[in-house]
Amino acid sequence: MLEITDLHVNYGNIVALRGISLEVAEGQIVAVIGPNGAGKSTLLLTAAGMVRPRSGSVIFAGHISGQMQPEALVAAGLSLVPEGRHIFGSLSVAENLALGATVRHDRAEIARDINRVLTMFPVLKDRYRQRSNKLSGGEQQMLAIGRAMLARPRLLLLDEPSLGLAPIVVGQVYEAIQNLRASGVTVLVVEQNASRALSVADRIYVLNSGVIAMSGTSGELKGTAAFDAAYFGVSAGAGAP
Amino acid sequence: MNFLQNAIDAISLGAVYALAALGIGLIFSIMRLINFAHGELIMAGGFTLYSLVGQPLLVLILAALIVTSILALGMERVAFRPLRKANPATLLIASFAVSYFVQHVVLMLYGSRAMGVPFLAELATSVEFGGLRVPRLQIVTIVVTLLLMGGLVAFFRLSRIGLQMRAAAEDFNMARLVGVKANRVIAFAFAISGVLACMVSFYLVAQTGSVSYKMGVSMVLIAFVSSVVGGMGSIAGAALGGFLVGIISVSLQAYLPVELRPYRDAFVFLIFILFLFWRPEGLLKSRADRERV
Repeated sequence: MLEITDLHVNYGNIVALRGISLEVAEGQIVAVIGPNGAGKSTLLLTAAGMVRPRSGSVIFAGHISGQMQPEALVAAGLSLVPEGRHIFGSLSVAENLALGATVRHDRAEIARDINRVLTMFPVLKDRYRQRSNKLSGGEQQMLAIGRAMLARPRLLLLDEPSLGLAPIVVGQVYEAIQNLRASGVTVLVVEQNASRALSVADRIYVLNSGVIAMSGTSGELKGTAAFDAAYFGVSAGAGAP
Repeated sequence: MNFLQNAIDAISLGAVYALAALGIGLIFSIMRLINFAHGELIMAGGFTLYSLVGQPLLVLILAALIVTSILALGMERVAFRPLRKANPATLLIASFAVSYFVQHVVLMLYGSRAMGVPFLAELATSVEFGGLRVPRLQIVTIVVTLLLMGGLVAFFRLSRIGLQMRAAAEDFNMARLVGVKANRVIAFAFAISGVLACMVSFYLVAQTGSVSYKMGVSMVLIAFVSSVVGGMGSIAGAALGGFLVGIISVSLQAYLPVELRPYRDAFVFLIFILFLFWRPEGLLKSRADRERV
């Protein structure tokens, strides 16, 4: 579904990624964990077509991400929920969800999908006509995920979906992620706070200073000294065990 | 009675300024580009009327609308699209370049003298309302402006592309990440700014009965000031700022001592500077800026 090979990305003189290779198979949840500044967001922004690679390739379902505009990638089935959610605060919840379906024209199906999102996140139903900057952080995260779902993505990229959320809300968000996978969406999630991501991911990559430090299933990684160092090194944030 | 007369003057001038400011504000809200070449769109509308003098009114109006919209789209395609990722200062300089380029093309083709154009001359007469003498041009200006603004509000609220433009104005990158086509919303914004500029040129040509290659310059400066007063990046703010600057200009014209009236614009800009000390972010803060708090 997503195949990244020897990816190098720079911002001017600053090197963000130095030779990353990773693979996300269809139907999987893959987690990339690592400390602040490791290059996690850059990885997702490059896959979504917002950042151009210096070298290497990102191939999504046969499309070359590095040569496509982000809006074309959304139409091809790749959606990103960026760090900080980026909901359209001056627009209503309803309008945010409608914008999620920008690439679609099947009105009846869109209406059904909006109902699905509102069933999944009932709190959005109560606030459907309100300006979305009135929502709490957790509600905004749910809106951001719901908005991304309305594009009917085949691959969903999530950048720190648990950042700044209370543990109970993190639980709801991850429940939604697992529901998505059950409905056939492939998920690539990036987290600094790894605990929750570890429990749902089929495969984990640990990213540090722009390189993949290690990878494997959570069973394989837990207990290795290097992993524990990386994992416990970043476990001080909210929602950690 | 005198006051009412002034009020009508103020509202009609404010309406014209608001239309000009909306053109500037709309482009800025989406692209962070202050398009000083907007004045040349106004001028192009005027020269279309000049070139087609004698044609039926409907032909004149449609031709001017088409020319200004196409010129607006052309500016975007040729000058601004390649610079889309450049910083706002670069975009601003590019807009000056486009502005001077278009002015000098017209200068070469038509010369520097202002030229008379009979356009909507029948609107120069006044209507009497119980002692008030209101020029028909003012009535038409106010009515057309209100209709156009109502249409714009409906467009932004009700149409898919309008919603996409509001999203792009708030967070351009996120809009692209939900699938909004960057080129499409920007092209729409430029086409609308072309239509708005054309409306302003209709007013200017009907009011002055002439066109010249610099006819858009002072209007675009007023429009820029208006959109800053309203709050750069806020579309509603641009309209509000335009009305406010129009009201201030007419009030100064009416109530300044006679010997100071020739310097009216100096007072307008002085008030603008004082206003910025008080409220540098404008009356309505840009949505995008407010969200970041």
